[in-house]
Amino acid sequence: MASSETPAREIPLRETLARLRYRYFPDHLVGELLSKKWIDNAVPFAVLLCVIATFGFLIPDFFAPKLLVITSRQLGEFGLVCIAMMTVIIVGGIDLSVGSNFALGNFTTLALLNLAGWPVAAVVPVVILVCGAVGFVNGVLVGFFRLRAFLTTLVTLIIVRAVVDMLLLRYAQEMSVSFYDSDIWDLVGMGGVAGVPSSFVVLIVVALIGHVILTRSRPGWRAMAIGGSRRSAHNMGLSVRGTVCGSYTISGMLCGLSGLLYAARLGGAGTDTGMGLEIAALTAAVLGGNSLGGGRGSVVKALIGSVIVLLMTNGVIRLGLNSGSGPMVLGLTLLFAVFVDVRWLKNRDKLLSKVYVSPTYVKLPQPASTDPDSGTPFALNNRLRNVEIIGLGEVESPEDVILDDEDYLFCGNRHGDVLRFFPPDYKTWEVYAHIGGSPLGMAFDRDRNLLVCVGGMGLYKIARDRTVSKVTDETNRSPFSVIDDSRLRLADDLDIAPDGRVFFSEATIRYEMHDWPVDALESRGNGRIICYDPRTGRTHTALRNLIFPNGICLANDGQSILFAESWACRISRYWIDGPKAGKVERLIEDLPGYPDNINRASDGTYWVALLGMRSPALDVALRMPGFRRRMARRIAPDQWLYPNLNTGCVVRFDDTGRVIESLWDLGGLNHPMITSMREHRGWLYLGGISNNRIGRVRLENADQNWSAATAYWGKA
Amino acid sequence: MLAALRGSLDRLLGRGTAAVTVPPLDGALKPNNLLENAPHAVGVQEPDNIVLGRQGLMFSSGERVLRLEPAVGAEPVTVITAAGPITAMALAPSGSFAVASDAGGIVLFDEGGRNRTVGSGSGKALSCVTAMGFADDRTLLVCVGSTENAIGDWQRDLLSGGRSGSVWRFDLASGEATQLAGGLGFPNGILAEPDGQIVICESWGKRLVRIGASGRANGPVLEDLPGYPARLSRSARGGYWLSVFAPRSQLIEFIMREPAYRNAMMAEVDPAYWVAPALRSGVSFREPMQGGALKQMGILKPWAPTRSYGLVIELDGNFEAVRSMHSRAGGRRHGVTSAVEQDGVLWVTSKGGDQVVALDLGTDGAK
Repeated sequence: MASSETPAREIPLRETLARLRYRYFPDHLVGELLSKKWIDNAVPFAVLLCVIATFGFLIPDFFAPKLLVITSRQLGEFGLVCIAMMTVIIVGGIDLSVGSNFALGNFTTLALLNLAGWPVAAVVPVVILVCGAVGFVNGVLVGFFRLRAFLTTLVTLIIVRAVVDMLLLRYAQEMSVSFYDSDIWDLVGMGGVAGVPSSFVVLIVVALIGHVILTRSRPGWRAMAIGGSRRSAHNMGLSVRGTVCGSYTISGMLCGLSGLLYAARLGGAGTDTGMGLEIAALTAAVLGGNSLGGGRGSVVKALIGSVIVLLMTNGVIRLGLNSGSGPMVLGLTLLFAVFVDVRWLKNRDKLLSKVYVSPTYVKLPQPASTDPDSGTPFALNNRLRNVEIIGLGEVESPEDVILDDEDYLFCGNRHGDVLRFFPPDYKTWEVYAHIGGSPLGMAFDRDRNLLVCVGGMGLYKIARDRTVSKVTDETNRSPFSVIDDSRLRLADDLDIAPDGRVFFSEATIRYEMHDWPVDALESRGNGRIICYDPRTGRTHTALRNLIFPNGICLANDGQSILFAESWACRISRYWIDGPKAGKVERLIEDLPGYPDNINRASDGTYWVALLGMRSPALDVALRMPGFRRRMARRIAPDQWLYPNLNTGCVVRFDDTGRVIESLWDLGGLNHPMITSMREHRGWLYLGGISNNRIGRVRLENADQNWSAATAYWGKA
Repeated sequence: MLAALRGSLDRLLGRGTAAVTVPPLDGALKPNNLLENAPHAVGVQEPDNIVLGRQGLMFSSGERVLRLEPAVGAEPVTVITAAGPITAMALAPSGSFAVASDAGGIVLFDEGGRNRTVGSGSGKALSCVTAMGFADDRTLLVCVGSTENAIGDWQRDLLSGGRSGSVWRFDLASGEATQLAGGLGFPNGILAEPDGQIVICESWGKRLVRIGASGRANGPVLEDLPGYPARLSRSARGGYWLSVFAPRSQLIEFIMREPAYRNAMMAEVDPAYWVAPALRSGVSFREPMQGGALKQMGILKPWAPTRSYGLVIELDGNFEAVRSMHSRAGGRRHGVTSAVEQDGVLWVTSKGGDQVVALDLGTDGAK
């Protein structure tokens, strides 16, 4: 045991810098940002900024207010067409007829207003319906008759274009001589709301509605699901045909609206109206990051894409380049967008898995010596050698054990059951209740209901009639958190205050239960203590940024809880009542191992299980976050340097943090590891999360009648 | 320039020279429990170098040379006690034998029991002698593991990338010493071939190399071993027995590419708890533990990553592995430093397991 011989070292400057860097630079946010869905927009957004910067630099009055108004008026029309295209693309289709449909909308508007003399209020819905009908025809052909989207909409493109051309031939003359005069119409075409052009306002309204539908409503989710995998969506019972048809119809309606706005702005119809619009809209949609394969897209992406395309086409025109260069720039941009889209999709998860794990700087204090001759309370001994074994091979992963007033022994297992062993010999058992997940810490409340922390699920209650009910599985989301930390991932251990409040630990918010080694590798303050108040039924986070908080125990004074932080090797006290309420005090900081559950002992002291022991080589690595990060990337988790969880012990300490004694089993053959212990009527019962047994050992000097349930709540 | 660029790119991405791949135990090296479960063994404190001569089987243990008695269950008999812990020994065809220790240098004992010190004539005392072999009665070949670290510090030599090992030839008649090769990564086994060439086990290179009688490098004969090779002896079938004293692991390969961590660890941590190969492991909970070695339901998986392992490999005349005997993760007979075959029985010194193990090779020693 080298702890005492290890030379004192000075902290070199480099280490100080590393400490500061890892303290103030939030590495973990990079990975968390990458894990968000909206991060897909980062690349298109960067392109947008580049485009703005480039043309802003090349064209002197690019940002002049007058020009901005014109551009945003155009954007109102173009953006609607892009959203129309996006609506179809996310269900895995394509709509080439947007340009012709747009022209049809434009023509219908002018014809109805100028020739038929209809009022604007009647024209708007009719135009939208006419173009929606074209979309509906597309939808029926593609959705119900299963024709190819590309060919079908190509045909519609040609036919609608031909119809518009024929109509123009017949009516263009009459339309051009008549003029529709109306204030409302002028407001739509030339005016705006508070200086913002009407068409842009319409776009914003449509975009907001579209965004809500797409991200927060069933039809939107269904459209996404169908685009992601048509076959799976069908198998799970979604109406694939209806949804596809609907999205084409909506696309058509949006084109009509756009055509109407165009008509209001220019008031004229020509054969070139909407010519090439489908290519521009397609470019915009793909450039924004909407996947052509379907299932991945958003309104925001469509808008970003439309701004980019519009700025580029306008910019090229204003630069005075010759006529072919506009489409050329557009084509090259489309090529670039498809390339980036493919690479991003392929590599995003790889990148995420590389950067998500972000170890931080940890300097653990010198551990107390465990040398048999050291004279410390941690000195190795063999007091657990004669552990009696309960349920060998019949119980798997009993993380916590607990006994009730009638001496029944309860434990969880990895199948999601809570088992009950029968006294006095604990040779027979039954499944007391099935919860699911991984039952971990347990506690009895005043009414002798069993509260259980379930890894992966939350806090659950088993009533005395064995009915299982959820107590809580979410807490308030922390402000400014990138990942959603409102759901409980790893509720670990709990205890109940005299007033009924339940305090429980959540070991980590960044990883699932079986990824605990990754959290150990990070050793960041990823965990928290959460409080559930049965009086209000509300759950809130009491303490944040704890390093794998694990065991929780109500102190004997009833005003504070003791909690263990495993990877920090320390035990602290958190005041929940009284004058110091809300304060945290460190109790023990130099544990030679990783503390797990804490429970009361009969004489007013506390038991804590050390689930594993510190190894000096890992302690060195904890001061080198970069080393640990590279280790996580380069070698398989099986080969990582782990906390040594193959040996553990039980330690007793008092309210002042003084360690009184420790109980060891050196060979570890009888009872390999310990995550929890409960004292009950002169015995100490031992649980271990990677064990296939429960142990118990006689405590000669303890109160032979003491039971925790009675000590907490009085006689039942 | 390009190579330097590629080197730093490799380090950034963990490719090429920075890859931490370890050859799998496969084919003839497929793991078994033959070594672990062999029924006959003699318990001795840290047996190291076992040799076979006219007097029978002799091996070193601490400061003593012991002879194995043929009778079953008989205690080995002490033949010689040297000045300090013996690091290597060799038997000459004539029956005289050489014993090396850091304290006493190389001492030659003839059959009459007289002894004389070798190599003092050159004025240069050799320490850290890891292996010896007689080319003939008057020529002794000597491996010096490292000139920078003592032999007990072999882990430090490995972690600091030691390449200060050398191979020497002593003419016993004239007392003349010649260095045949230098700059080796801990040569740890040596064998003279009938044609005068010499095969050397270079531990840190994880390979066997061949040099000519005059020291000319003739290239490697076996490369990329899954462990660190120790001594080499002849088999009855014209091949060789290669002892492998510790396994390679991805973690250690990775740490070899992390100088900052390596240096901090060597400066602060007791060598017994280093992340380094070892002759035995699992003694203390302060030793580093790797993920796969976490016991589940009370069981350590035999394929768990481990710092120590027991492995003897039989090579044929072309240095192709033919078969192997293992003591896997969690086993006792780890840290095999030498092996020698006698009448269909392979005697193996498990330095980490404090045993000399007898492996029955079958009636004729064949598979």
